[in-house]
Amino acid sequence: MELKQVNYSYSNSKKTISDFTATVPTGQILSIIGQNGAGKSTLLKLLLGRLSPDSGTVELDGQPISALSPRKRAAKIAVVSQQHQLYDEMTVKEVVKTGRLPFHSLLATISDEEVRPFLQAVDLADAMDQPLTSLSGGQQQRVWLAAALAQEPQYLFLDEPTTYLDIRYAHDLMALIQELNVKKKMTIIMVLHDINQALKVSDQLWLIKQGKLLKAGTPATMLDEQLLSQAFEVPIKIVKIEKYGPYVIQLAA
Amino acid sequence: MLKERLAYAIVCGAMVITIILALMLGTQFYSLPQLWQALMGQRPAILATIMTFRLPRILAAMVAGGMLATAGAISQAVFRNRLADPTILGVTSAGEFLMLVGGMVLPVFGFQKQLLALIGGLLAFALLANRKTMRQPYQLIIVGVALNFTFMALTQLFTKNIDVSSSLSFNGITWSAVTTLLITGILGLVVALLMAPWANDLKLPDEQLSSIGIPVTAIRLGLLALVVYLSADVTSVVGTIAFIGIIVPNVARYFVGHDYQTILPFSMLSGAWLLLVVDTIGRLVVLPSEISAATIMAVLGGPFLIVLVQRGGAHGIKAG
Repeated sequence: MELKQVNYSYSNSKKTISDFTATVPTGQILSIIGQNGAGKSTLLKLLLGRLSPDSGTVELDGQPISALSPRKRAAKIAVVSQQHQLYDEMTVKEVVKTGRLPFHSLLATISDEEVRPFLQAVDLADAMDQPLTSLSGGQQQRVWLAAALAQEPQYLFLDEPTTYLDIRYAHDLMALIQELNVKKKMTIIMVLHDINQALKVSDQLWLIKQGKLLKAGTPATMLDEQLLSQAFEVPIKIVKIEKYGPYVIQLAA
Repeated sequence: MLKERLAYAIVCGAMVITIILALMLGTQFYSLPQLWQALMGQRPAILATIMTFRLPRILAAMVAGGMLATAGAISQAVFRNRLADPTILGVTSAGEFLMLVGGMVLPVFGFQKQLLALIGGLLAFALLANRKTMRQPYQLIIVGVALNFTFMALTQLFTKNIDVSSSLSFNGITWSAVTTLLITGILGLVVALLMAPWANDLKLPDEQLSSIGIPVTAIRLGLLALVVYLSADVTSVVGTIAFIGIIVPNVARYFVGHDYQTILPFSMLSGAWLLLVVDTIGRLVVLPSEISAATIMAVLGGPFLIVLVQRGGAHGIKAG
C-alpha cells in the first residue's frame, strides 16, 4: 500500500494533506501520530478509499484503491473505528457476522459456526449470544475487532482504538493487536493519540504535522526531543525507566 | 429461545381460535356443530353464507394485517425509527388520493387501483426521504404526519359530496379482490422474508456498511420499494388502516428480540391475527351495522403511540 504525491483539501482553502509520499510496511504495525488537526484521520480516510485525493494516487497492490469495487476492497481492508453507533440492538455474534458479508451473497444467512473462530481470537466466544450493549467498553471494542478479523483482511486499520478505554483495557487491546500481527501476518495501521503506546507497540511510525510527513521510521528514530517538541508544539523530555525503556513526557510549568 | 417459541405458539393458537370464532359469529350465529355440518355439505345455506361473506373477509383481514405489520417493521428498519410506519407517514393516504384522482380522470385499466396506490406511495416517499429526515427521527414523523393530513384533506376536497368510505373496506369484499390480495400479498411477504438480512444490516451506520462492501443506497431503496408495494396493495383494496405497522413490530421486538429474521415472520402472524380480531369485533359490536377496522385501530393505536413516544421509542435504540 502506497501513497504517491497525495494532496487533499476539504475546501479550496488550506491543504489538509500535502505532498504526501510514503509506503505502508507490509506485515508490520504502523502507527500514525501527530497533534490534533495534523491530518491523521484524513490520511486514514484516503488510505481506506473513503476520500479521493485531489492529486496523486493511493495504491493497493499496484492498483489505485478507487479502482477496487467496495466488496473487493472490503475483502482486503478492515476498519475498527474509535466509537460505534448501532441503530438497534444486536447480539455479539450478529455484529461479527457483518464482517463475513463481503464473502456471501447479499441475502445470505451466515451460520454461528462461521464466526466462532473470530470470537475465539478475541476471547469472547462465550458471549456470542449476549446483546452487545451488555458488555463493557473494552469487550465491545474486542467484538468490533472480531468483526474486522472476520473480513480476513490483509490490512487492518484502527482509528484511535483506545480512546474510550481505560489504561488496563487499552493495554490488553494493544497486546491482542500485537499478537494478531504476529499470528496472522496482518499489516496493521493505527492512528494513535498516545505517543508512548505508539512507541511500544509499533514497528514503524509516521509523524505528521499540518498534513505533511515530518518523519517516517522505527520507534528508536522517533526518540528525538527536538523533533517531537516541534511536532506537538510543547516542550518534551524523553526519560528512560529501567526495565521499561524510554518514555516521552510532556513538560508543563 | 423458549420465550420466542412460546410467543409463536400463543399467536398460532390465538389465530386458530379467532378464525373459528370469526366463522361462527355475525348477524347470524352458527354453533360449532352447525359449522361442521356445513363443511360436510349437510347445510348448504350456512356454507353459502360462510363462503360468500365470512371466509373471504377473514382471509382478506389476515393477509392485509400481515402485510401492514411487515411494511411497518421494514420501514422502521429503513428509517431507523421505531415510529416509522407507512400509514402515519402519509404513504397510504397519498396512494388513496391518487387512486381517487386517477379513477376520475383515467380510463379503467387492469390493476388500476394497485398501480395508482403504488405511484402515490412512491410519491410520498420521494417527498419524505431526505438526509435531514433520515437523521432526525422527530422531523421524519412531523413531515410524515403533515403529508398524511395534506393527502387526507385533498381526498376530502375531491369527495365532498361522495361517500367513498364504504367502497374501501372489508365489508362485502369479493372473492376476486381477495384472490388478488392473497396472491400479490403472499408474494410480497415471501420477498420480505428473503430481504430480512438487509433490514438487519441497516442497524449499522452507513459508513460502516460501506466499509464492508454493502451497497447501502441500493438495499435501502429495495426495502422502501417493498414497503410501498405492501402498503399500497392493502390500501388499494381496503383503504388506509393505521397503526398496525407500529403496534405489531414493537410488540414483536419485546417477545422475539431484535433480529429481523424473526421479527418479520412474527409480525406477519401477529399482524394477521390482530387485524382479524379487530375486524371481527368491528362487525359484531353495533349489529346490524358495523365499525370499520380502520376506526378501531385508530382508537387502539393512538394511545399506544403516545406511550411509545413517552418512553423514548422515537429515538430507536442507540446502542454502544
